[in-house]
Amino acid sequence: MERLRVFFSRAWGFLHKRRLDEQLREELQAHLDALIEENIRSGMTAEEARAAALREFGGVEQTKEIYRRQRGLPFLDVALQDLRFALRGLVRRPGFAIASVLTLMLGIGATTAVFSVVDRILFRSLPYPHDDRLVSFGLLAPIERDEFTLGAGYIDFRKEPGPFEAITSMAPGTTDCDITEQDPVRLNCAQVEQTFLPTFGTEPLLGRNFTVEEDRKDALRAAILSYGLWKSRFGGNPDVLRKTISLDGKTAQIIGVLPARFEMPTLRAADILVPQALDETEQRQSAPGVVLRTFARMKPGVDVRQATAALQPWFELTVSGAPPEFRKEIHLSVRTLRERQTSDARLASWILLGSVFAVLLVACTNVANLLLARATVRERELAVRAALGASRARLARQSLTESLLLGLLGGVAGCGLAAILIRVFVSIAPEGIPRLQQAGLDLRVGVFTLVVALASALIFGVAPALYRPSAEIMMGKEQISARRGGSLRQILVVAEIAISIVLLASAGPLLRSLWKLQNAPTGMETENVLIEQISLGSHNYKEAAQQFAFFTDLEARLKRFPGITSVALSDSIPPAGQMRSTILAAVEVAGRSALAEGTGGPVGWRAVTPDYFSALAIPILEGRGFRQEDRLPTENPIILDETLARRIFPGKSAVGKQLRLFKTPDGPWRTVVGVAANVKNDGLQTDGDPEFYLPWKNDPLINLHAGYVIVRTRMNPASVASWMRSETGSLDATLPVNIETMSQRVGKLAERPRFNAMLLCLFAGIAVLLAAVGIYGVIGFLVVERTREIGVRLALGATPQSILKMVLSGVVLCTIGGAMLGLLGAWFCTRLLESLLFEARAHDPVVFALAIFALVAVALVAAWVPARRAMRVDPMMALRYE
Amino acid sequence: MSPFHGQGHGEVLQGTLDLMVLKTLEAMGPLHGYGIAQRIQQASKDLLKLNQGTLYPALLRLEQRGWVRSKWGMSENNRKARYYSLTAAGRRQLVTEAARWERMAAVITGMLAGTEGA
Repeated sequence: MERLRVFFSRAWGFLHKRRLDEQLREELQAHLDALIEENIRSGMTAEEARAAALREFGGVEQTKEIYRRQRGLPFLDVALQDLRFALRGLVRRPGFAIASVLTLMLGIGATTAVFSVVDRILFRSLPYPHDDRLVSFGLLAPIERDEFTLGAGYIDFRKEPGPFEAITSMAPGTTDCDITEQDPVRLNCAQVEQTFLPTFGTEPLLGRNFTVEEDRKDALRAAILSYGLWKSRFGGNPDVLRKTISLDGKTAQIIGVLPARFEMPTLRAADILVPQALDETEQRQSAPGVVLRTFARMKPGVDVRQATAALQPWFELTVSGAPPEFRKEIHLSVRTLRERQTSDARLASWILLGSVFAVLLVACTNVANLLLARATVRERELAVRAALGASRARLARQSLTESLLLGLLGGVAGCGLAAILIRVFVSIAPEGIPRLQQAGLDLRVGVFTLVVALASALIFGVAPALYRPSAEIMMGKEQISARRGGSLRQILVVAEIAISIVLLASAGPLLRSLWKLQNAPTGMETENVLIEQISLGSHNYKEAAQQFAFFTDLEARLKRFPGITSVALSDSIPPAGQMRSTILAAVEVAGRSALAEGTGGPVGWRAVTPDYFSALAIPILEGRGFRQEDRLPTENPIILDETLARRIFPGKSAVGKQLRLFKTPDGPWRTVVGVAANVKNDGLQTDGDPEFYLPWKNDPLINLHAGYVIVRTRMNPASVASWMRSETGSLDATLPVNIETMSQRVGKLAERPRFNAMLLCLFAGIAVLLAAVGIYGVIGFLVVERTREIGVRLALGATPQSILKMVLSGVVLCTIGGAMLGLLGAWFCTRLLESLLFEARAHDPVVFALAIFALVAVALVAAWVPARRAMRVDPMMALRYE
Repeated sequence: MSPFHGQGHGEVLQGTLDLMVLKTLEAMGPLHGYGIAQRIQQASKDLLKLNQGTLYPALLRLEQRGWVRSKWGMSENNRKARYYSLTAAGRRQLVTEAARWERMAAVITGMLAGTEGA
């Protein structure tokens, strides 16, 4: 209380300096006058009286000074004085100010933009309370990369959830569901257990969570709306809780609305939550039951390792019922929710963050260089101030104030640049970077920028602040100190070159990998192919026969179009299709024992019409493709890909052999009619699993509710696409149509690597540019400083060539030093990249050599202009200089 | 640093000067700086040599803490002068300070007496 009072009083004093000073002067004068009068009265002469009064009073100016220090905020006074001085300095040298602020803007802006993107991936808490205790748990199998649990096992576990405070489950993915009333619309529905929201610590914004009764089979249907759907369809009206919606033809009561910031733990968009209605008896009868995604909240104080250990007995029990060949390929896994959501984006995020900090460091180095250069120019001024009694701390403080001012200006400009960069990132970024859409400048990012700006100021401000003019300068022996500042600046140049080389050497392998990825053979011809993706709603197309009829109608209509060379249907599409999957152990060969111990690994399969192979230009290596008559229900042909054929029939021809699939003892034997060339099925980077093809027809085995129409055309894809759209519309106007060219689909697969490589290249480019500017600045400055020396050398007979050599040799030395350091750094840093690379080596000697070559070239070019200037120094001018 | 810390020239300890000012204002009512200085000089029977200038930072300090307040007025001989007076908080502070001073004086006297006795 008292302190606060004193502070306010001091602040008042600080703000009303002038008036209070005047009052103080008056008050002290009155006191002195009174003393003088008194003395005169006691018989002194006027002069004696004044002298005695001053003696009695003690120093007047001293008193005033003490009084002022007591009255105001002396620290702030000095800071303001420094700030004024710094501002004046910047205004007086606008070139220096602009160069520094622009450099810092580049560094801080890029850092802020990247931070705002990766913050959501690496640091910022997920939108659930105590998010660090949320985990995804369950089994991992070769065909499934995220944890899952099977129905029966989950129900067992639910009774005794061990290390978990709460557990919950949901159906994997989301399903299409239709609002079937006026304004019908296709939405994503997520089926969740009743415990779903409580486990994630989320309360509905309106209404309530599902009750246990509503989560039973045959219960009245209830639905919780997402915030977005509530706003868009119901206008954010709270009355919505009294309404019902008709979902896939069945009425459901709306019981709640989710908060705006809620997101599904799988990060999929979901418009409506409906109860999962997991039925215990059903699951036990059909054991092991359906596949579930399972999440849990760990008890406080439990970590992931302990939870995993505690789950081990349950895991053993769960897999004990599974066939032995499965058991050894299934693992137990517990991962934090953050890890599940961002696993493959994390490494790239760290690398981008690291590289952008490297750019910032180069920017700081450049500004430090500029400041040092200026300190050398101001050496005399500093020396005079030191001689007049300014302490070293006072001078350092002054210099740091200037750096902080520059840092803050750079930070403000950087924020502006970051706002632009974030927009650019969001617009060019590929899908699948978690939470990218939310990236932006908010308070948290603002604080980060401020901290970065201040930290940068300290980094680039330290060297100039410690720079102290020596007494020699006063006596004109400036050469000594010029050399001293010079060597410090050369060290900074070495650092710049080293950092640039690390960045270049890291960008190189990523670029090479990208190039290889984009030219990786997919096993098909992607030019002139259009893909239409169709998903039929379960309401309008209940029966498989209806679905079958729709697709065959569409196929027939499209075939009539003259410009189309082939039309095919399939249930999935390479190279990144969600193809159906089985295991090798489930394939039986007539007259042979089991094909594999264990699962034999996953085997993909898809159903296709005969034109599939010609539409995608996949060569048939042996035998034949499918024919129209293979689509008859009585025919059971099968086509293997090359890998699968070799695996099952090594060294022999597969054609004509009999296979039975899916471990079905009463299933049909299928005759291998052909072997197709391999295609990429699991992205571009891996060869993917072996696969086989079955004819697409009306068969319970084959999913008909969704599929792809593949069209090869000789005509302009855009006009064919609009034709396809209108043909689909004339069959069913309500169907959403999604048409892309095959090249676009393939291109998307390289988007993430392209994005990473592009950003890293951008940063490396900025770093090299800054390094070039830095070298130019330092060499230029050295030449100006050594003009007299150069003049003497020329006068004594040195040739211009030898002067050029002298200047350039300094640069070459710096560059070599920087290159060595950079190589060392690159050797360690590029190793981190390894898992992001495709058919490219992290330690690529060609890339390293190119990086060094590029920087040496840049350094020489940057040094060339000032070096030429040195060559042309006129000795007479130089000697008269100063 | 502050002149109150120097003791070699008959100057006064910081807390002591504060106490003397407060006591003076209590005894005499509102008074200007010169008056306070004269009064302290008198009361100490000229034993204390007060650098009168040091009074002003002390008055400022007391005012900042809310123990005295000041007002501009006219002095006896018709001059503009700044009058200081005790606030209620200042009165309370005087009581505490005085008590503390007495305690300390007692302790020191006791110690000195003890030393002599040994």
